[in-house]
Amino acid sequence: MDGDGKRHRILMVSDFFFPNFGGVESHIYYLSQCLLKLGHKVVVMTHAYGSRSGVRYVTGGLKVYYVPWKPFLMQNTLPTLFLTFPIVRTILIREKISVVHGHQAFSTLCHEALMHARTMGKENTVLRSGISPQKVFMVPNAVDTAMFTPSPERLSCDEIVIVVISRLVYRKGADLLVEVIPEVCRLFPKVRFIVGGDGPKRVRLEEMREKFSLQDRVEMLGAVPHAQVRSVLISGHIFLNSSLTEAFCIAILEAASCGLLTVSTRVGGVPEVLPDDMIVLAQPAPEDMVRAVKKAIDMLPGIDPQMKKLYSWDDVAKRTEIVYDRAMQSSKTDLLERLPRYLTCGAWAGKLFCLVMIINYLLWCLLEYLQPTEGIEEVPDIRLVYAHLESVNDMCRIQSEGN
Amino acid sequence: MEQEGKGEVSSGIYTYNHHCDNGFDIHEIFVKRSRFRVLLSYIGMVFLLASVSRPFLSEDKLSPGSSVWSITFGILVAKCLQYKPVKKESVVIMPTFGVQLEIHFWSGRVHRRFVPLGKVLKPLLNECVTPVTCYWSLSLLLCDEEELMLVFQKSRPPVKMLVPVWKALGKFLNSECQTCSAVSEPGSQT
Repeated sequence: MDGDGKRHRILMVSDFFFPNFGGVESHIYYLSQCLLKLGHKVVVMTHAYGSRSGVRYVTGGLKVYYVPWKPFLMQNTLPTLFLTFPIVRTILIREKISVVHGHQAFSTLCHEALMHARTMGKENTVLRSGISPQKVFMVPNAVDTAMFTPSPERLSCDEIVIVVISRLVYRKGADLLVEVIPEVCRLFPKVRFIVGGDGPKRVRLEEMREKFSLQDRVEMLGAVPHAQVRSVLISGHIFLNSSLTEAFCIAILEAASCGLLTVSTRVGGVPEVLPDDMIVLAQPAPEDMVRAVKKAIDMLPGIDPQMKKLYSWDDVAKRTEIVYDRAMQSSKTDLLERLPRYLTCGAWAGKLFCLVMIINYLLWCLLEYLQPTEGIEEVPDIRLVYAHLESVNDMCRIQSEGN
Repeated sequence: MEQEGKGEVSSGIYTYNHHCDNGFDIHEIFVKRSRFRVLLSYIGMVFLLASVSRPFLSEDKLSPGSSVWSITFGILVAKCLQYKPVKKESVVIMPTFGVQLEIHFWSGRVHRRFVPLGKVLKPLLNECVTPVTCYWSLSLLLCDEEELMLVFQKSRPPVKMLVPVWKALGKFLNSECQTCSAVSEPGSQT
């Protein structure tokens, strides 16, 4: 724990967490582990997955609450608006949470938890409309630098390999790929494609292969398990990302960490992810993407894959800690001060927001009456105690000798 | 939380008591009866009586169908409002035998469960998460059973009352374990 920083008690909320596997889930997990190493207390709240419900402890003493709400669509819980308030309030009180960190704009559980936390006066660190610009911080995502390292030997430049790894769905620009790949193969005879990933648009890519007879130049790998992503990435020179929308895109960060040059569509937060010498951006249109691929192929001989050092999770955790410290220092605003700010959001939206927040506040008062704060017991801090393990070994020894 | 007398702790509707009797270690949790719930259960009974007697007492004949429906509805309401209050739940630790879990009702009925010593592996303090709340419960991990056995089935005492019972159960199991191994060791040498 650092000397000058305070110890925060953080609640991470999201609909997406293990055993579901993806970018958001890994982000929450790695960030929580690094924050635990820095000495803070971290608790994760998510919905139950199948029979996995209740309290679980994962690596490093990270406590996860799998709340038994059923997910209704792609792992999102039904937007119940106020019904999650009792359990969120119970968790906030029993764990003595000071900061609520919401993840994923699509997560309904996350938005509700943040709304309830705001009503209860806890700090939260997600962009909400109506807050002043000083309160907005950009913390980049990180990549597992231990796992995504470049290949030890440089690949030969006789044949250029372009790697695409993404879910083959509309949002990830699979239709763009169908237009771009044949054009690139026609213009550059030395180029070969490796496409990893699965999804509804895979059929279109297969048809494209058939139509242009690209079976020997386009290799379809199917779904690639996360542990094998690195080995697929290091077999290529260039990584192609054709997403139509993207908040951050951890995939290009992983590719850059493996030493690949990236070609991506200029959407969302992608331009902020990598420095300009590691990425070539294009508009999400086939002609522009082909131009970008050409530029990348020309840049390729000048690239040294071993050179760059990107953000590691420890850096991200430290930056997040700074955000928490600043959030704690900012003055707490009570309901009456916040209501005028909500009214400015929009003609109808503002009034609706206000109504929702007022109802939330009244619900909080009702819960305080039905289940008083004093009745909710605080959970003791359970640290991993290694001394306890020795006594367990002694007990086992006695029992085995007794048999 | 107030201390009442020696070894007694009270919090909200629960009161914890611990005493020894003839070598048995007894932990008890007393539950205060809720007058509001008693009143509601009486209202439910009255409602049921009214719905049963209405077809017989009314002057104009009601159809049998509607009287059956009203009686059924009356039974359902009475069942929902029914209140079988628990007077106390106790844990009796019997050295060398096992653990007896008892539920005493205000009506005088007693429900007992005995768990032999060999069947209990460990007592556990578990955090239970429901869609609306989260609370602590004490349960026993049993040999060859998939489910945990709750020690206090009808009540949810605060964790401060569960901890002494948990510690006593743990100490009891440890001491029994050690006496078993101490007894068998001389035998193995012969």
